Amino acid sequence: MNLSGIVVAAFPGKVDACVERLNALPGVEVHNVDHDMNRIVVVQEAETVAAEVEGLKAIKALPDVTFAEMVYHYFAEDEQFVQEIPEDLDAMTGLPQQQVCVPEYLQD
Amino acid sequence: MKQTRREFLKANVAAATAATVGIPLTQAQAGAADVERDWQWDKGVCRFCGTGCGIMIATKDGRIMATKGDPDAPVNRGLNCIKGYFNAKIMYGKDRLTQPLLRMTNGKFDKKGKFQPVSWERAFDEMEKHCKAALKELGPTGVAIFGSGQYTIHEGYAAAKFMKAGLRSNNIDPNARHCMASAVAAFIQTFGIDEPAGNYDDIEHTDTAVLWGANMTEMHPILWARIANRRLTHDKMRIINLTTLKNMPSELADMTIVFKPSTDLAIQNYIAREIIKRDAVDHDFVKKHCVFATGPYDIGYGMRSTDAKAFPEEKDILAKQKRVKLDKYEAIAQRRKEGEVVEQKNAKSAGKHWMISFEDFKKGVEPYTLDFVAELAKGDVDESLDDFKKKLKTLADYYCDQNRKIVSYWTMGFNQHQRGTWVNEQCYMNHLLLGKQCKPGNGAFSLTGQPSACGTAREVGTFAHRLPADLVVFKKKHRDLAEKIWKLPARTVNPKVGSHIVKIMRDLEDGKIKFAWVQVNNAFQATPNANHWIKAAREMDNFIVCADGYPGISAKVADLILPAAMIFEKWGAYGNAERRTQAWRQQVAPPGQAMGDTWHILEFSKRFKLKDVWGEQKVPGLKAEGFEDGKLPSVLDEAKKMGYDPEQTLYEVLFATPENKKKYPWPAPKELTKGHPNHIAEALGDGWFPEHALWEEYASFGRGHGHDLADFKRYYDDDVRGLRWPVVNGKETLWRFNAKYDPYVKNGDFEFYGPALKALPSGDLDKITNKEKTKLTGKAKIFFRPYAAPVEQPDNNYPFWLVTGRVLEHWHSGTMTRRVPELNRAVPEALVFMHPEDAKRIGVNRHDVVEVASRRGKVKVRVETQGRNHPSKGVVFVPWFDESVFINKVTLDATCPISKQSDFKKCAVRITKV
Repeated sequence: MNLSGIVVAAFPGKVDACVERLNALPGVEVHNVDHDMNRIVVVQEAETVAAEVEGLKAIKALPDVTFAEMVYHYFAEDEQFVQEIPEDLDAMTGLPQQQVCVPEYLQD
Repeated sequence: MKQTRREFLKANVAAATAATVGIPLTQAQAGAADVERDWQWDKGVCRFCGTGCGIMIATKDGRIMATKGDPDAPVNRGLNCIKGYFNAKIMYGKDRLTQPLLRMTNGKFDKKGKFQPVSWERAFDEMEKHCKAALKELGPTGVAIFGSGQYTIHEGYAAAKFMKAGLRSNNIDPNARHCMASAVAAFIQTFGIDEPAGNYDDIEHTDTAVLWGANMTEMHPILWARIANRRLTHDKMRIINLTTLKNMPSELADMTIVFKPSTDLAIQNYIAREIIKRDAVDHDFVKKHCVFATGPYDIGYGMRSTDAKAFPEEKDILAKQKRVKLDKYEAIAQRRKEGEVVEQKNAKSAGKHWMISFEDFKKGVEPYTLDFVAELAKGDVDESLDDFKKKLKTLADYYCDQNRKIVSYWTMGFNQHQRGTWVNEQCYMNHLLLGKQCKPGNGAFSLTGQPSACGTAREVGTFAHRLPADLVVFKKKHRDLAEKIWKLPARTVNPKVGSHIVKIMRDLEDGKIKFAWVQVNNAFQATPNANHWIKAAREMDNFIVCADGYPGISAKVADLILPAAMIFEKWGAYGNAERRTQAWRQQVAPPGQAMGDTWHILEFSKRFKLKDVWGEQKVPGLKAEGFEDGKLPSVLDEAKKMGYDPEQTLYEVLFATPENKKKYPWPAPKELTKGHPNHIAEALGDGWFPEHALWEEYASFGRGHGHDLADFKRYYDDDVRGLRWPVVNGKETLWRFNAKYDPYVKNGDFEFYGPALKALPSGDLDKITNKEKTKLTGKAKIFFRPYAAPVEQPDNNYPFWLVTGRVLEHWHSGTMTRRVPELNRAVPEALVFMHPEDAKRIGVNRHDVVEVASRRGKVKVRVETQGRNHPSKGVVFVPWFDESVFINKVTLDATCPISKQSDFKKCAVRITKV
């Protein structure tokens, strides 16, 4: 589970329209709306890093959004992240052989 | 209703986010239980771009639990762009390097062998053998380090000191050469001191942001968010995007001006001509604080002067290094005749310059009329000339309006330019003419691409010609000061400028360098015309070491790979684009046997005794006062008099000195460490704190000379979120050269006190007429620089302009961001962005594979005709992060002849369907 807190800035007067569009995006939930500052806080849940990046790009591309940037990233229960941390750091081995060969495209 | 664990976490994430950016919490959020209660939060800095965003990192039991934008960081005020998210992710990618790897066959080093894990001891044994052999055969110029704008300050300082004081070699040059060198040269030539006058606060003071070839939306999103906010909250605010292809900033910009590559030089001169014509010159400011200057035009293009190693197809372009036939526009722009052949006589003295009169300056810009510049510069064939003219006029209106504040921003568009130094200087030209410089909301501001391009590469001086704090190796006074601080015998430091980064590559190809060490960068992917250098690394008799967190192309072409600790696995500090130094503590342990680069350098320095390196050394081409016999003298006798023993190692003499061990102990006081470990101090195990010692010694170079840093501990205090240097009496400096803000201004309201190049001969637009030097203490220079055509332009064989650059979610060469699991799927491979009609014309559809070929090399790449970049007809754009679309095989290794920075932004290519 990849959880990110994202702040979205809307054009003045377009906050509610943005909230509606944001809630329609998969994995996105609007949590806080501040009409004075034209800011919206959403939480995005994504399966993978790629989905996380694509999701943020989708938010940035919405009409009437002036900017959207990440603020908070929760890793503690991100299974993928935790799995990638080796149990025993010292047991991590180096590169598998095939990955360190000079790729053919470098040899021409 | 019972909350699920997931709902509970999401509510917490939302509450933390809202709190971070100052949005009121909902009642439910305010009452929610805190998942963070047993986490330890500490401050850090993003390791990606040059913005320098503050990041808070939460750890528990040596693991990272969460990261967030630092609400107290004045740079980003709680926001983080997508790259902020990678700071934690990058540490645990699948192919993280965790052991030294050596190319071997049957247990022995073999340049043609396969990588095998070896011990650190074995790795250093092998390095020592090859480094000493290169030194013995070739002297100090036979070894080199590829340094970095991503070095922490301590790493850069340790590397520079090891090379310059230890091995007496100036062959250390950072990848920042590819990134910032033109900005540096222009700062030094214009102001006599490196780095910008203004800072990010300008955004909230200004009425106008002009982007000159800077895609801030994708490259500096947090600063862009501040600009966007200013646009929405300040009615007068306008944004202008000058670019060679329509890109993301155009969506918010009030005006986009698409120009042909290199014609920014002409547009700047058009603005200068308008400033004069409309009498918008701030005469009082110019008279009191500026002089006019110019330099030679026949300076070549920074290419090799011989074609001995060139591929046959490259030779026609290479010939232009020696002589150039002026085209119609250059002829007008340089007041000459079309077709005139100009010998490039000043290729080796490109930086020389002299004072001219204001009258001469006016003559220089006179040809740059609206008609001339519009015809030359219009970059979109589908735009009408009249529309383009209207835009240029509006742009000039914005600059000339005395009631309008204006900031010009640039990054690689200016810097990676065959006339990069000139175009940087032209930007200052206009701001100085208008008196719109070093004032809140007014100024020309050079953005940086790397987290410590300013703080390390430049301030520490990890360049082939530099020493710390703007000192240079070719000045005796500067070497004397360095030798004093470093406690070296006189004449230890080599006065001959070393090889810049492209030249290190060329030297490898020529067999002049036989040992090279890549640190915190990916030189073999990042250098243009890469086919030559890959071949040199793999086929010449040399030994390449690459230290990295992940294997990129540089690791793959190396002979030995050293696993490096990354960002929060070590103590560090960076200096960002607005002169802000920010420091962090080690948060987690590096994986496996990975170790910080500082440790690599310190351990390796144990392998050299004074007698190995401080004896007499040959240096080809050395000519300097005090070195009349063309050699570096033996300084061993002098060293003995100073109390050194020739049997002592560089580690003992340069680094772990008795003084350092006494003054900077490890373990350090708890108030400073807050219980955080230091894997380097612990591995060295001899009771000193290397980062603290290196910091204080380094800082002693700049204090009192306009480069003042606070003491090490100050940057770790809870109330500090970085300090903008110079830090004088505990206070940071906001606008340099402005008496209201800068304690170094001693005379008048403004003073350009930078000391470098402040005595000049004088002359007219074409030549020096009076060799006698006039002092210009306290003044800035307004340069006249002409338009010059790019050395390679589209023709029948290679009909497209190729522009390269980055995309939002990949940074540097992708060695880190591309290792984050699945991110490759977000941008599976680099694309070639092209105009749909161009695609149609060559018979390809969106997503077809094409071959992009230049005189130097070719790559296969997929076509994109939609999406975020919209090139005009005749222009294509390829990002450079993807090693499988290795676009630097195609790019041209021309450089700005003054700064030696490569031009990745323009070369000619052919595109064919595969």
